[in-house]
Amino acid sequence: MTMRHKISSLLKRLCQILWQPLIAVILGFLLGSVVIMISGESPSHVYTQMFQKSFFSFYYLLQTLTRAVPITICSMGIIVAWRAGYINLGVEGQMIVGGLVSTVIAIHTSAPAFLVLILAIAGGMAAGALYALFAAFIYQKCNVSIVISTLMMNYIANYIASYFVTFPLKDPKSGIAVQSVEIPVDVRIPRVFEGHTFNWGFFITILIVAAVYFVIGKTIFGYESKMTGLNPVFANYGGVKKNNVMMSAMAFSGALAACAGMLEIFGVKYRYIDAMFISTSYAWTGLMSGLISSLHPVGAFAASIFLSGLQVGGQAIQRTTNIPLQVSTLIQSTITLFVSVKLFTDFKHRKKQKVEAGDIINGN
Amino acid sequence: MLLQMKNISKLYKNGVLANDSVSFDLNEGEILAIVGENGAGKTTIMKILYGLEHPTGGEIFINGKTCAFKNPQDAMAHGIGMVQQNFMLLPTFSIAENVVFGSEPRCFRLFFDRKKAVKEVIELGERYGLKADPNLLIKNCAVGLQQRCEILKVLYQNANIIIFDEPSAVLTPQEVDGLLNTIRSLAKMGKSIILITHKLNEVMAVADRCVVMRGGRLIDTVKTSDTYIQELSAKMVGRKLIDKSIPEVEKGAVVLSVEHLSQKGKDGIQALRDCSINVHAREIVGIAGVSGNGQTELLHAITGLSKDISGGKITLDGQNLIGLTVRQIREAGCAYVPEDRNTMGAALQSNLTETTLMARQYETEYSKNGVINYMKANQQFDALLNRYDVKYSSLNQRAGELSGGNLQKLIVAREISRNAKLLIVAEPTRGVDIGAMEFIHNQIIEQRSAGAAILLISSDLNEILKLSDRIYVMYEGVINGELLRAKANSEDIGILMTGGELRDNAS
Repeated sequence: MTMRHKISSLLKRLCQILWQPLIAVILGFLLGSVVIMISGESPSHVYTQMFQKSFFSFYYLLQTLTRAVPITICSMGIIVAWRAGYINLGVEGQMIVGGLVSTVIAIHTSAPAFLVLILAIAGGMAAGALYALFAAFIYQKCNVSIVISTLMMNYIANYIASYFVTFPLKDPKSGIAVQSVEIPVDVRIPRVFEGHTFNWGFFITILIVAAVYFVIGKTIFGYESKMTGLNPVFANYGGVKKNNVMMSAMAFSGALAACAGMLEIFGVKYRYIDAMFISTSYAWTGLMSGLISSLHPVGAFAASIFLSGLQVGGQAIQRTTNIPLQVSTLIQSTITLFVSVKLFTDFKHRKKQKVEAGDIINGN
Repeated sequence: MLLQMKNISKLYKNGVLANDSVSFDLNEGEILAIVGENGAGKTTIMKILYGLEHPTGGEIFINGKTCAFKNPQDAMAHGIGMVQQNFMLLPTFSIAENVVFGSEPRCFRLFFDRKKAVKEVIELGERYGLKADPNLLIKNCAVGLQQRCEILKVLYQNANIIIFDEPSAVLTPQEVDGLLNTIRSLAKMGKSIILITHKLNEVMAVADRCVVMRGGRLIDTVKTSDTYIQELSAKMVGRKLIDKSIPEVEKGAVVLSVEHLSQKGKDGIQALRDCSINVHAREIVGIAGVSGNGQTELLHAITGLSKDISGGKITLDGQNLIGLTVRQIREAGCAYVPEDRNTMGAALQSNLTETTLMARQYETEYSKNGVINYMKANQQFDALLNRYDVKYSSLNQRAGELSGGNLQKLIVAREISRNAKLLIVAEPTRGVDIGAMEFIHNQIIEQRSAGAAILLISSDLNEILKLSDRIYVMYEGVINGELLRAKANSEDIGILMTGGELRDNAS
């Protein structure tokens, strides 16, 4: 194949992949326009504001990218499990558990900063992984659906964390604010620019995306989990152990979720604040970007930045116009809905199946 | 004359001529059998009559008027009904609900009138002698009863012409008897029946006339009273049943040995009872039987897919297989072409590389330290699939985009190329065109020459007779007989398959 051929076939594939999300985005913004017009504002004005204050000015762009860090890593966690056929809706809970454990380690370990950081990362990830594994465990022992158990365990994680920061870990200096003590200065992830929360965590995120891309695309684990997700009977026939795949996928997913929590604490907030991951709904935005990208890690990275921008921009227009933040949420949800409906591809698929039916029948 | 099919041809877009100018007619109250091997075009012509396919040539007349059916609803409106091979029933609905599905009796034009539905189903059943409890859920029904429900459905739609597509394939012998009685009584009541089958004893038992098809063409139309099974089968196959072209080879040592294997089935019924078989190197051993008599369970026990073996021994080259994982059994030297390519043989949404890689991903040739070398895999699979004549456009294609025959060839290629000591092939040519069938058969024979022990399971008796050096017949989870190639014939196997015994022990 010549270079030109390669490029053109790549472009063709890219178009194939992108056209559906693109249409969904357009539909999302159209629906948003309707709502904006009903509230008596001009959509073009609002959208210009929204994009200026999310992507097209340096300060807001950095904010968008900072927010994209936990969203991206959450979506990586979701992708890893979902590709194996397990829908992990407990990313939020695993994030809380991982974040809290690493914060505790960072606050209460007296050792060189480097060692503390390693301990905190290892401890946090292990905690997140174990929390996710518990859902896998009760699925195996009691046949509790992973979707339900992980979802419910979000509440458990949040309230347990709430207890810890309300009583034993509470920062006595913070008054009515329910939050932990700050982590020591020397274990914090350094900021890239003075006076802005954008930190090196973003570059760690890029590494994590690359790692996830490699693991699911190139390794035996990635192959076996994909096959299990697509057809467990086939995977079993080929000697894949379903339990092993489930355990590793869930543990990996939980560890990634914990990473998301840690980066947010060690890079931005420097402490665990009660319900910090609930109100921001990073995990759910991550789920959306996973869905939009059809579980592709690089696509999910891009989608996460885009959705993060919508949220940052949405907050900005809430301040400057009388359009509430909910409009941006509405747009996001519409996009996700339109992508996940897969209306168009299904239609195409059905047409194709009709043609193929002929091929199969001619045998009988 | 009720129905006339005149010069029907069907050319598929991929160049396969499934029907070549086929003509036959059907009288009122007549039972017409259409017989032929797999791939003879029987199903295609019925799909045309039922509106599922459109002919590329020819005409259909009903009561002298030309008809062209756009879809099955259209055909139904003309009084044509079909009892499908794979039942189209809703398992969580009752028999009555399934029967009336699509044209339900209503009250106030809006609400489903369940009482009336139940009443109508009871009436139908009494009129045609098809008794069924209308309130029974389909999932609780035996296969025979499910089929009865399908027949009731067709009758409910007022069909005058009823097509039965391989109706006895899934039935136990007793159920087959019941079915044949039903068909006879339906014809007596004035319904016209078309029976598609390759089981000649059923044809002789019920049909008035018989249409023989081979390779998409109509070979002959004969009265069953003027013919006999051997003549029909010769016409159907077009050659002697046992193909002498298979080279004779001296068989080697025992490779697979199954001794006194027992297994519990799903419903607590014993799926396997005291099964003992062995397969030698350079030998093809066939297992014949009506599907659902324990063949699948036996294969799953050998390949490690089922874990609930209650007793017995399985050894491969002397190595115990019971308790080993699927992967360990594969590594011990077992390859397996599964009976259902779509649910077990492939993941239809994965690409061809991934489908072909299955069970090789952990071999050092394809992966190191947990990382798969896709580049190398692609190169090798390109060569492999070309060698096995699989037609595909790119390895990035999804497995589901391949035609049935090509996907089957891919699976056969994947398993045969393992060069395993034991090759298990189940239904290797189900739903595959004649060309692919010959090809797959030749590959199996070549593996035999290369020294493999081959265990063949097929519901197609001709395939078993053609390939096997030795044949076991299974009936209700028991090995009900063993025949050598020289002594094997379809009559004896038929008797053994239905639970009978041969007078002088043939083995």
